[in-house]
Amino acid sequence: MISGGNASSLPLVGGLPEPTIKELSKPGRRAFNYPKLDVDEETIDHECLKIEKAPLPEVSEHDLVMHFSRLAHRNFAVDLGFYPLGSCTMKYNPRFADWVASLDGFSNLHPAAPQKQTQGALEVLNVLEDYLTKITGMDYASFQPPAGASGELTGLLIIKKYLIENNFDNKKNIIVPDSAHGTNPASAKMAGFEVIEVATNEEGLIDVQELKKLVNKDTAGLMLTNPNTGGLFEEDIIEIADIIHSVDGLLYYDGANLNAIVGICRPGDMGFDIVHSNLHKTFATPHGGGGPGSGPVAVKEFLKEYLPGPIVKKSKEDYEWYFPEKSIGRMHGYHGNFLVALRALAYMKLLGKEGLDTLGSFAVLNARYLSSVISKVLPLAYTKPCMHEFVSTSKKLKKSHKIKAYDIGKALLDRGFHSPTIYFPLIIDEALMFEPTETQTLETLDELAQTLNEIIEDLKINNDKLTQYPKNLPVGRPNELIPAKHLTVNWGDFELLEITE
Amino acid sequence: MYVPHSDIDIKRIFKELKISSLDELFTHIPKQLLLEKGIDVPDSISELEAIEYFEKISNKNKTDLICFAGGGHYDVFLPHTVKTLTMRPEFMTSYTPYQPEISQGVLQALFEFQSLVCDLTEMELANASLYDGATSIAEAISVAINKTKRDGVVISNSFNPNSKEVVDTLIDSDKFNLKYITLKDDRFPDDYLFTEDDAAFVVSYPHYNGSAQDLTDLVTRAKDKGVVSICYVDPTLLGILKTPGNMGFDIVVAEGQSIGTPLSYGGPTVGWFATKKEFARLVPGRIIGETRDSNNLKTYVMTLRAREQDIRREKASSNICTNQTLNAIGSAIHLCWLGPEGIYSMGYHAMQKANYMKKLFIDKKVNVINKDSSIREFVIETTKDPEIIIDLMAEKGILAGIKYDDNHLLIAVTEKRTKKEIDKYIDNYIEVNND
Repeated sequence: MISGGNASSLPLVGGLPEPTIKELSKPGRRAFNYPKLDVDEETIDHECLKIEKAPLPEVSEHDLVMHFSRLAHRNFAVDLGFYPLGSCTMKYNPRFADWVASLDGFSNLHPAAPQKQTQGALEVLNVLEDYLTKITGMDYASFQPPAGASGELTGLLIIKKYLIENNFDNKKNIIVPDSAHGTNPASAKMAGFEVIEVATNEEGLIDVQELKKLVNKDTAGLMLTNPNTGGLFEEDIIEIADIIHSVDGLLYYDGANLNAIVGICRPGDMGFDIVHSNLHKTFATPHGGGGPGSGPVAVKEFLKEYLPGPIVKKSKEDYEWYFPEKSIGRMHGYHGNFLVALRALAYMKLLGKEGLDTLGSFAVLNARYLSSVISKVLPLAYTKPCMHEFVSTSKKLKKSHKIKAYDIGKALLDRGFHSPTIYFPLIIDEALMFEPTETQTLETLDELAQTLNEIIEDLKINNDKLTQYPKNLPVGRPNELIPAKHLTVNWGDFELLEITE
Repeated sequence: MYVPHSDIDIKRIFKELKISSLDELFTHIPKQLLLEKGIDVPDSISELEAIEYFEKISNKNKTDLICFAGGGHYDVFLPHTVKTLTMRPEFMTSYTPYQPEISQGVLQALFEFQSLVCDLTEMELANASLYDGATSIAEAISVAINKTKRDGVVISNSFNPNSKEVVDTLIDSDKFNLKYITLKDDRFPDDYLFTEDDAAFVVSYPHYNGSAQDLTDLVTRAKDKGVVSICYVDPTLLGILKTPGNMGFDIVVAEGQSIGTPLSYGGPTVGWFATKKEFARLVPGRIIGETRDSNNLKTYVMTLRAREQDIRREKASSNICTNQTLNAIGSAIHLCWLGPEGIYSMGYHAMQKANYMKKLFIDKKVNVINKDSSIREFVIETTKDPEIIIDLMAEKGILAGIKYDDNHLLIAVTEKRTKKEIDKYIDNYIEVNND
């Protein structure tokens, strides 16, 4: 089998470690190049000035370029191969969006420039708000939150302020499924709520009967992603929404899994009051090795005035900043991660109606296909049809052959694939969560399934090899004991920072 | 678009799934939820058409102005070397480095970023980035509150107003007492009395108005009462100014835009966060550590993971997950490009050029409020509303600064500004202000 998603041709074969840039430093070398000072130099006396120079590395420009290029070579990426990472939506990031973000009119815009000078930027946010609210079935959006977790916190602060304004001070409980992302409970706690967990039933859906028992006058709201983290559509969502609304609670939609339903159905129609979207997932902006993202929050009309401000308002003549009357405040120093939002708009423009209407369909089609072929190798955690991702489990293999999800993930790395998400959701033993996205070819999906099969068959026979993978990469499995004993987070100290706690 | 399947592929998938249309994938979704007519957005446009569309919008932004606006975001020279290295697709299109064996590039770049931030600020431990300068201040305050279990926050009033709004949003005023302290003669009062109810002392260095003061004694006074001291620093001045570590601060945060990231309308940029080892367990966000692999080779991994939300859930030190890794890598590359001499020149040139500009203002009888205490950013008194001045100066090709209040303007000078540009500013300003 030959596929475009396999990166096993990469010259990542382990050699020596790359030295740090500090080790490459030699006194007197330099890369920087500034014009000569063109004003008359004066002696300036100030209590804060220092004499000594900052201890930064001294390298030539070529050394600098070689070092960071070699580091780049030691890294997997969407541009190199397939990431079947569940919950992360690692789809192809169109090059065109990068070009748009690099345009001088956007990248060199000072954030404090008055709105008269930034009409283009406000237009971008206004047009994007229109796309986003139509995709999610909401009314207004704020682009303040710079990431998904910030979007969650925004949503919860909106719930909090709305409840206080409406004299529901008693409402302190946020209900979160036991399968939720860790950011959900962490954000709820940060917003000052108590977190109540609702169990998932055997089918992989929220246990509605248990939810009814947990919901009461103290319920502030429910945080939910639909499809849920098991990749299953919460079929009872309308009833769930009614249960929460019947006690005057609000529904928050975690947009982590939005890719599954774009063009199919909308959180707004399901009864959600607040929605955050991860533009770095659903709308194809690059993850940047862990960030930046963008987590805009969209709400129904009745919550508009609570949005973090400023938001963009379109008038007859132009666009202006508007600070909502009851706003929870700012979530970012300026306008959120604007260039990420811009990239998302570029993606939406290119997809247009026809691309967006079928986006969810093709994401689900690929996942359904992959789950079908992988289920012949690894059992699925649930029998219900999956949406854009699905969870397999190596629970039986662990029992019979000591093969853990971790071992399978590590062996895949050696074969040119990124590992799936493992040990999540927490409620499934030995979970391996796969999300192919709509941008992978059939051959790549087939090859992943076939490779998984080969790995498992090999490990079953050669059980001694279990912990040896990966073998062909720049480094092998890390020794987890060293960082537990010594906190080496700075090239200045290997033994210095000992954690005894 | 970007769906690679041919009709033949789709037939094969349909056969495997025993379906004959895409609609059959969604029979389990309640019918009333299914979109009958799809999404009400415009049809797609080709890349060629999109080029025209976006160029047209981008031209509605005025970025051809000579920039004298600062307030935390500075128009510094960003070399192509830094830009192109940061934009390498292996950095740009990779995921969070949860799999260290295939993520050594991002992990080592972040480890170097952390180390460079520590060296530059003279701290012991930096994280792998937060969202931006403003949110980093709020995160630092949370650390101080968690560390001390106290509820008072002594914070300088001289911060970018937006940063204060972020702090007000993220630090619950029902639970915590935010005390904004006004500067006296452009200084945080040197005789300020901290109490044992105070969790944090938060100050900007230089202050928002551009004035800098040696904060060593204030930090000592705070320390005497067990108060955690937090410094928000302009990183581009760390080549010439005494470091926060040297002054004894417990936590240093920064808006890192001016090191490695274009102005970007304020985002994405990067928040720096550095502290001392005793705060390690309370640090928000990811931390990269060095270890050894199974063959005893140097290996980098994400470490102290038990603080983070995906493991600790509601007991996490912060909810942050996605951060600003790419911008942090940009910071690391830019710092290495600068080196000790470059970061010195960056600050020194800006200071000399600001000094030149302040003198010209004084020659023209314009009142410079903080001539002596300011470094590269300063406040002048205007006779007109600064908003009007900014509008009129824009017509002359200049972004004049940021409105400080109804009759004051905040002006920033970077190493990138030339004598010619400064002279042009002064000439036009005199004309505009006296008009």
